[in-house]
Amino acid sequence: MSHQDLLRLEALRKSFGSTVALSDTSLNVQRGSFVSIVGPSGCGKSTLFNMISGLERPDGGSILIDDRDVTTRTGQVGYMMQKDLLVPWRTVLGNITLGARLTRRLTYDDRRRAVDIAQRYGLGDFLHHYPMALSGGMRQRVALMRTLALDHELLLLDEPFGALDAQTRFEMQQWLLSVWRESERTVLFITHDVDEAVFLSDRVLVMSSRPGRVVDDITIDLERPRTLGTLTSAVFNGYKSQILEHLHGRVGP
Amino acid sequence: MKSRLLRNVLGSLLSFVLVMGIWQAIVVWGQVAPYIAPRPLDAFRAISGDWSTLWPLTLWTLRETVYGFLAGAVLGVVFGIVMHKIAMLQRVLYPILIVTQAIPIVALAAPLVLMLGFNLGPKIVIVAWIVFFPVTVNVLDGLTHVDGDLLTLARVLGARRWRTFLVIEVPAAIAPLFSGLKIGATYAVTGAIIGEMAASSGSSLALYQHNANANLNAAAVYGTTLIMTAIGISWFLLIVSLEFWATPWRRRVTARRRRIGGKHK
Repeated sequence: MSHQDLLRLEALRKSFGSTVALSDTSLNVQRGSFVSIVGPSGCGKSTLFNMISGLERPDGGSILIDDRDVTTRTGQVGYMMQKDLLVPWRTVLGNITLGARLTRRLTYDDRRRAVDIAQRYGLGDFLHHYPMALSGGMRQRVALMRTLALDHELLLLDEPFGALDAQTRFEMQQWLLSVWRESERTVLFITHDVDEAVFLSDRVLVMSSRPGRVVDDITIDLERPRTLGTLTSAVFNGYKSQILEHLHGRVGP
Repeated sequence: MKSRLLRNVLGSLLSFVLVMGIWQAIVVWGQVAPYIAPRPLDAFRAISGDWSTLWPLTLWTLRETVYGFLAGAVLGVVFGIVMHKIAMLQRVLYPILIVTQAIPIVALAAPLVLMLGFNLGPKIVIVAWIVFFPVTVNVLDGLTHVDGDLLTLARVLGARRWRTFLVIEVPAAIAPLFSGLKIGATYAVTGAIIGEMAASSGSSLALYQHNANANLNAAAVYGTTLIMTAIGISWFLLIVSLEFWATPWRRRVTARRRRIGGKHK
């Protein structure tokens, strides 16, 4: 069923000196799915992202997107970090088109499309605002729009909501899910927050450190669209404790 | 917006009146002799009375200031960029640049006259010499402090280095650039006058003041100083206006231009 897999990692590994950041990891990510990665700091999550995005060269193994080998090639995926990294001298519109501007001459079409996605995902009233005038949540929305605008099928989101307060965070999660559903992208999502991972994902990968590796691969079978009620359901809590057990050892008496 | 501009103008006027008032008070109540310090009005009268001589001299000094400033600004930006891009050059150049500023500028004037003559040349060099340093330091600082994650993001998106430089690093250095330019602008006219003092064959503001001093004409001495100060202030204000216009994101919520995307609030 390889044609269904957007991303394939084959025996990927990476060490820094004598530290194994990521030991032999193979992984398939289905097109259109939402996959989260949870794990303690130093478990190789970021190394994994850096390799998929082409920033770092793996010691061995390969990365395939759509059956094309993209190992060490940048510009193949969308990438979003915890910091929104908006440039203050450009408006919302200018920030959304920043990716295009960085890679080629900006066209009328780029701007038109940026306006379209901004309007579709609730930023229409803020197109000409400078980032300084926006709240943290709004800024992250713009950052995600910038990530979407480049039309890469695979989006790597590295703790994008880590710096937001709990309430904004929940709003953003629901918003992200609607964006994901409508834009039909494939998402790899790093988080420290187990609730967030279960709430968002089709699949949660649990990683452990020293050496960094995937120790569990849990399919989240929860009905979509997910709501506030999802967060308190028994099934949700079942997944949650399963993951927490892996992260911290057995939970509760 | 309008009212803020109005308040700023009003504030400047008030501070002008205040300074003149203090000057007047010191001279009158201190019973300062007129050949030591004139009253403000006398100083103004002295320059307006000899305006036909002073105006061309003023333009000349302004020209020295502007040319020197522009040369220094360009030099400063080039140094800043080159030093940022080539780490080795930064290590070699930085100590040299500091040495250039440690040399008393007056000591530099005499040899410059020998090399460049009595015309515009040495004045431009002296002004540029003073102006380039704060520009270099600030541009270099601006380029160095661009968020590393932003550069990483650019790489992930597949940007080439020169595009990253143009789209991210250059705009990030604009605000620091203006900090450097403003410092340079305040010193520029001082440089021009030092140049004139050391190297004026015919006539110049500095020479005019020197002669007035020799004649114990304090009103003209102070009046000339007022002109020099006015040149400095005008140039500084021009740079500030330029900054205001060039960095709208620091004061506005939304961009003024709307090319696409319909209306906004």
